Amino acid sequence: MTLEHPLTARYLGKLTDALSALDPAERREVVEEIRDHIADATTAGRPLEQVLEALGPVDQLARAYKVELLLNPKDRREPRSWRWLRVVGLIALGSLPTFIICVVLGSIGISFSLSGVAVFVAGIAAYTGDLPDWVQMDAPPWVGLAVGPPLVLIGLLALAGLIAYVRFVARVVRRVLPHERDATA
Amino acid sequence: MQSGELSEWTSQLRRGVLELCILHLLQGGPSYGYEIVTRLDGLGPLSAGENTIYPLLRRLKAERLLDTTLRDSPAGPPRLYYRLTPDGRTRVASLGNEWQAMVKAVAVCMDTGDRS
Repeated sequence: MTLEHPLTARYLGKLTDALSALDPAERREVVEEIRDHIADATTAGRPLEQVLEALGPVDQLARAYKVELLLNPKDRREPRSWRWLRVVGLIALGSLPTFIICVVLGSIGISFSLSGVAVFVAGIAAYTGDLPDWVQMDAPPWVGLAVGPPLVLIGLLALAGLIAYVRFVARVVRRVLPHERDATA
Repeated sequence: MQSGELSEWTSQLRRGVLELCILHLLQGGPSYGYEIVTRLDGLGPLSAGENTIYPLLRRLKAERLLDTTLRDSPAGPPRLYYRLTPDGRTRVASLGNEWQAMVKAVAVCMDTGDRS
């Protein structure tokens, strides 16, 4: 392939910028197509300046694309009613598991990490003999030292899992809910 | 040169008809942008210019009347070819019928106008 003429490169660069509102894949195809058009027309013997003039100012061409694709979207992929069906489906299928997962992970996370710390501290206190009277510890002190860290670890893992799950749910909800752009269309 | 009002009228009319013509052209087989533009170019009032045709092709694709494939062209690198989808075929047929009915009706209008 021959090196692209600076005029062509500048025209396509400006077009790419002007079409930033389009979907990235769509924009790439549009710019590729105009590039092919310029190549075809100049190969057919038309002077480059004339080809670019016939395409018109970049702003005008970009506006024509936006008028056809954004102002008047007739996307048949998914009727609006389907989208609401998806929202309803998500709530129906997702709410109970979400409730259970949040309660289980939350209580495991909080109780395990707190009691892990408490057992560990109690173990240290029992070694040094500082264990207060109101704490009754039947097991030997090393058990507290050995059991504390794994309990904390389990608790933190559960909390991390909870955070990851909440993020996942947020992502799913964002994808399913109608976008603002659709709402104004 | 046409007066402003007349060219506005022509472009309004062309906008609708162009869609029918492009879909019809593609009934003969897949084609790519430059080929479509040059084939329409010789057709007088229909030669809308590339800055109308390319955006229109994208809309027809967004409406799923056309889809695109990358294909090797006879000369040069692979090109983006447009072809009719099943929806597109149905649309050509119904637009064709609409157009015939419209032409007949307009002919009757002009005929009765001329005689009175």
